[in-house]
Amino acid sequence: MRYAPAAGLLLVLGGPFFLPDPVAADFGAILAGPSPAHLLGTDQLGRDVLARLLVGARLTLGLTASTLAVTAAAGTLLGLVAGWTGARVLVRLADILAALPTILLGLLTAAVLGPGTASIAVAIGAVGWTPFTRQAYHLTVREAGRDYVTAARSLGAGPARVLIRHIAPNIAAPLVAHLCTRFAGTLLTVSGLSFLGLGVQPPAPEWGAMVADGRAYLVSAPHLVLAPAAAVVLTATLATVLGRRSIAPNQ
Amino acid sequence: MSRLLRRLVLIPPVLLAVSVPVFALPRLTGADPVRTVLRTRVASEVPDPAVQARVAADFGLDGSPVTQYLHWLGAALRGDLGLSFVTRTPVAAAIGSALLVSGLLAVLALALAAAVGLPAGVHAARRPGGPLDKALTGAGILGVAVPEFVLAPVLVLVFAVGAGVVPAVGWGSPRHLILPVVTLAVYPAALAAQLVRAETVDVLARPHVRTARANGLAPARVLWRHAARLSTTSVLALSGMFTAGLIGGSVVVEVVFGIPGLGRVLHDAVLAQDLPMIQAGTLTVVAVALLAGVLAEAVQLALDPVAR
Repeated sequence: MRYAPAAGLLLVLGGPFFLPDPVAADFGAILAGPSPAHLLGTDQLGRDVLARLLVGARLTLGLTASTLAVTAAAGTLLGLVAGWTGARVLVRLADILAALPTILLGLLTAAVLGPGTASIAVAIGAVGWTPFTRQAYHLTVREAGRDYVTAARSLGAGPARVLIRHIAPNIAAPLVAHLCTRFAGTLLTVSGLSFLGLGVQPPAPEWGAMVADGRAYLVSAPHLVLAPAAAVVLTATLATVLGRRSIAPNQ
Repeated sequence: MSRLLRRLVLIPPVLLAVSVPVFALPRLTGADPVRTVLRTRVASEVPDPAVQARVAADFGLDGSPVTQYLHWLGAALRGDLGLSFVTRTPVAAAIGSALLVSGLLAVLALALAAAVGLPAGVHAARRPGGPLDKALTGAGILGVAVPEFVLAPVLVLVFAVGAGVVPAVGWGSPRHLILPVVTLAVYPAALAAQLVRAETVDVLARPHVRTARANGLAPARVLWRHAARLSTTSVLALSGMFTAGLIGGSVVVEVVFGIPGLGRVLHDAVLAQDLPMIQAGTLTVVAVALLAGVLAEAVQLALDPVAR
């Protein structure tokens, strides 16, 4: 289990070297089921589904990881500062924004920017920081009252040093667990928006777009939906389980 | 009580503030709304200037952006949300009927989620780490990790295409409700089960439970009357957590199953650049989300004496 993310990354980065070209159409095998030549079958243009999945992983996981990295860093920093200075306004704003569904924002950003990776990134960026701010705020407020913080301050440490050298390491564990949970949530948002035609557009093998694309062939070639669907569910489950283990390693 | 009133009173000004970007942003795309109206009906590239002027007058697209906004706002306050660019029928009527459809879907899904998720969480807490707990926890993790856009086609494949017991898509009969409601209920059910389990484990360790046990009450009675009542009400108080997920999920479910609800109306409006429908639909969703937040707080106040 611990090595699953590494194994997945290796598959995504190394797999395409051993697989058919993801854009090459094999007209002899259209909508074919799994076979030795095409391990997960082919789509309506005879393209290899496994090769498209692995190329799509870079889109889906890359977009998820990059939006998450920015929102998590910004959100945590805001939460630390708000917790230290007692700026509750920021947390109230986060509470209000958190009530808005990301899909709604995705619809709006798609209406303004046109559907694409930019509209997804803006929609996730607008609300993605809120859970990190809320959690970092509450953890910082809790830690700020502890003896070791008082000790550091009475030794003359400034606010930046106390926050980064003393408080941040002590609240890192729950934040990392939260990061794993949010990875699953962000992945579902990215691929969900693409599924709705509001994000990465269908010729690109983004996983949600692949599910949407395959729905027309649900009866004749269910593997076109099931393969990307399984990729989404497996990755989201893996991230969730890793998050839970980092909180309670014995479970 | 006054806290609830204050939050209710805040809703109209928030909606007013939200209406400005909702009106302005979709107009920043550079696409001429008059051309959007005509493109949906007329294939020719350059429309007659006289036709353009009439369309602009009919759809309130003449004058400066500020006058357009004030005109729209004034009409909206009287309940007139303008005409759809696509269907050329009143937006207010379309939003109203779509809201009823989505509301029915959401209420049924929440009821199903509560009926399944709450007891499942209590049962899992009976013996933490036991086989039932492990199975239910696994199901809960999967339930949160499976998005609606995956669940819906899989359920259609198994129960509509495979078994043929329910219709795959459409709207109109109670049988059409089954797959959409189940799809929508899975996430809140899994989330509720996880929360109830954690709460119940917590409550079972409290002194009043030990007292009840020491007095010789049957284990089932202790679990349901003394522990589950506390833990489920404290999870119901968190019901605001479910609103955002439910609204997002209903967009996907309505698009997949072809249900004429608010999510699908908004989705189609965005893809067709139907500005009046986008504006009215977005404001309605924001209003619903804010009202649901107040409702969740009311539930919390009613159930939790400490918060009162």
